[in-house]
Amino acid sequence: MNRRPDALALAATITAAAAFVASLGAWSAGGLAIDVAWVPTLGLRLDLALDGLGVLYALLATGIGTAVFAYGAAYLPRHLSHGDRPASEARRFWPWMVLFMVAMVGLATARDLVLLFVFFDITAIASYFLIGFDRHRLEARGAALMALMVTGISATLLLMGAVLLYVEYGTFSVPELSARAEPGTLTTVAAALIAIAALAKSAQVPLHFWLPRAMAAPTPVSAYLHSAAMVAAGVLVLGRVHPLLAINDAVLDALLVIGFASIVIGALLALAQDELKQILAHSTISQYGYVVVLYGLGGSAGAGAAAFYVLAHGIAKSALFMTAGAVTEATGESRLSHLGGLARQMPVLAVASGVAAATLAALPLTVGFFKDELFFKAAIEAGPVVQAMAVLAAALTFAYIGRFWLGLFTGPRQRDAREIPLLLVAPIVVLAGLAVAGGIVVDPFAALAADAATVTSGGSVEVEAAYHLDTRPENLMAAAAWGLGLFIMVANAVRDPIVRIVGRAGDLAGSGRWYAAILSGVHVLSHRIHAAEVRDLRTSLGAIVIPTGVLTALGFVATPAGHTYVVGDVALSDVPVIVLLALVVISGLTVARDRGRLQPVLALSVLGFALAATYAVVGAPDVALVAVLVETMLTLVFVGVYSRLPPAGATDVADPARPSRHRIHVFAGAVAGVSAFAVIWAALSRHAPARSDSAAHVQLAPEAHGGDVVTVILADFRGLDTMVEITVLAVAVIGAAGLLRRGRLW
Amino acid sequence: MSPVIEVVAPRLLGPAVMVAAAIIVKGYTDVGDGFSAAVIVSLAVALRYVTLGAENAERSLRILRHAPAVTTGGLLVALGAGFAGVAFGYPPFTHFPPPGADVVKIGTLELITAVAFDIGLFLLVTGALVVLLHHLARLAGRWTR
Repeated sequence: MNRRPDALALAATITAAAAFVASLGAWSAGGLAIDVAWVPTLGLRLDLALDGLGVLYALLATGIGTAVFAYGAAYLPRHLSHGDRPASEARRFWPWMVLFMVAMVGLATARDLVLLFVFFDITAIASYFLIGFDRHRLEARGAALMALMVTGISATLLLMGAVLLYVEYGTFSVPELSARAEPGTLTTVAAALIAIAALAKSAQVPLHFWLPRAMAAPTPVSAYLHSAAMVAAGVLVLGRVHPLLAINDAVLDALLVIGFASIVIGALLALAQDELKQILAHSTISQYGYVVVLYGLGGSAGAGAAAFYVLAHGIAKSALFMTAGAVTEATGESRLSHLGGLARQMPVLAVASGVAAATLAALPLTVGFFKDELFFKAAIEAGPVVQAMAVLAAALTFAYIGRFWLGLFTGPRQRDAREIPLLLVAPIVVLAGLAVAGGIVVDPFAALAADAATVTSGGSVEVEAAYHLDTRPENLMAAAAWGLGLFIMVANAVRDPIVRIVGRAGDLAGSGRWYAAILSGVHVLSHRIHAAEVRDLRTSLGAIVIPTGVLTALGFVATPAGHTYVVGDVALSDVPVIVLLALVVISGLTVARDRGRLQPVLALSVLGFALAATYAVVGAPDVALVAVLVETMLTLVFVGVYSRLPPAGATDVADPARPSRHRIHVFAGAVAGVSAFAVIWAALSRHAPARSDSAAHVQLAPEAHGGDVVTVILADFRGLDTMVEITVLAVAVIGAAGLLRRGRLW
Repeated sequence: MSPVIEVVAPRLLGPAVMVAAAIIVKGYTDVGDGFSAAVIVSLAVALRYVTLGAENAERSLRILRHAPAVTTGGLLVALGAGFAGVAFGYPPFTHFPPPGADVVKIGTLELITAVAFDIGLFLLVTGALVVLLHHLARLAGRWTR
């Protein structure tokens, strides 16, 4: 298995490292901003700023990206060779990873809600292909679809919230909205919608079920997705739009409740898991619960602690995921109960992942200690309930991560570890070094978090993190958490039943079951509609005309307007039109009633020519010309096709198994006909062209050196539209050639 | 097929092209545009296919085989007319010469970008319809055989 890391992996890693350095440079230079018009008519701007919050997440995405990509360079070839797959499949991996990173950096810097939505969805798309990378496995495909559905559908809520805010305040820009937004139902609803989208992305209860399933992805994807991309995107959005959330306390309180629920449920489920990656996945739900709680607490303390938490967690969690991958690579085993005592065989990995675990458990001398110190400090301001919950949260974290690390590296050895490449351990060591460095010199991390919190809370924020050897409340809470955590870890008799009950409850009534039920319900519904639609030609047509008719009718009912229906006078000059329309009606009836083949076609062409003549009479010569030409062409095509069909009667045998649906056909015809009649009558009743560009076009035509308005509109005023239309025609020709002649154009 | 049509159909192409050219030339000041002109030419070609059969029609009018190239060329002409100004910093589909300026005229043909666009449109639609005719005619021939 001596494979060189391929060029793509190398390029991806170098890209990530270069982006990391560039982000660092931009931060030290005081930030960077691009703000150009994107779609000015819709008020959309390409507003990207590497401000405090942007820098934090950009550094996270590129820095952890570098470590994970380097790890992936060694991991992926082994992963592919385990599955007997060609190394060239890496081409389906690295571009998505890089896109994942780019989207995350874009999301970090976006200050426009629509832009935020776009990047949000790009991360979802990239994650879909990465989670489903092992596409031969049903499990991976299902997991990828689930992640896409849950985060993608909820992302539309973000767009809805953005549009609501735009309608009210006239801008998509987050800083402008923060300045302009006022308390009110609409603002609250919009903020709540955006928050739901963010919470689903960060896998918070009850939309958390997709994340453990996403473990079907290769380990580097999991490591990245859980620490710096995808899941981090949710809390990033919360941090970005926090001023809008903070307008209404109810939204913040909801965040608090959801956050604590996620912490407890995620942690209890993590305690119950046996698969290494499942433990870590449930831990992620729990850990982002902390961040959501901190944003729910609000204020500068909460914002600073949240930013710091994301940073510390990202470092620890990516290292732990890579540890799980390295252990599985070395032993071929992924279950905690079948592993143990690896410390002697893998000492470096044991120490490095021990540091990462200590960071998550908030032990001193790691950067993680300060994440809990800041968490406790924010909780103290919020009262005793939140304080108690905070201690419980930290204790649970201590317990499950202790179980994870001790289970892997201590106790009796169950499996021997084989030699693994250096590159599968080195990134973990680097991250562990970073965690220890942050535990000794915390200032750079604190400064980064303070800058990010300044953006979130809208005012200057100081993040004070330091060791204090005294009995201040934070220290007491930390000590209590460690003690309680140790108890949870040791007291199997108390812990196991609780954990089992929570797990059973989740299996029986959890949101994952709801997802499955909804998905299969939608599937059944879609299948039924499809079966009804493709039954025969009439049902296919009915599928178009019935919804159109019903929706149009609803539109008329919903928007009542006076004088919509006017019966005008009949002048002598109208007689030609009336005669022509009578001809149209007669030929229409002939088409419907005649059972032959050629007669309906000829009647149809009479109908078309009569309509063309009507256009000519009412003063639309351009339309009339085109109508005549198209009608001639269609008649020719019809005659050409019909002349080659088998003789009539050979195929027109009624199928006795199919009941006649005469009534339904009459109903469909009536619905479509009546609503079309109503629409046309209403259109003809409006004499003044309301809000139309046509008057301006008529006026401007001489300016454009044109005499015929229609031609000028087609070739000049709406030239871009025409361009697109004729391009469609060219594409249609290529498509027809592809279908008929396998792509030969001639 | 009646002898009248057999005689008339092949000779219709010339007049049809003339009418099409007339529509384009005066189209900008009067009714009609590149699309109508293109359909008129394709109709004449279609009539040839119907009367002579696909193989004879294509053998007697060798220029038809260039239809894909005409389609592509039309697309390029239309794109050029619409987007050439972008290279000089104008928005797409900026009108040249600008409103109010004098226009060079050859008879009734005005030399403006919109007319160039119209010609591109004509070429594209003609080419596309002829390609479709070609494929459908061959397909029909295969079925009857």
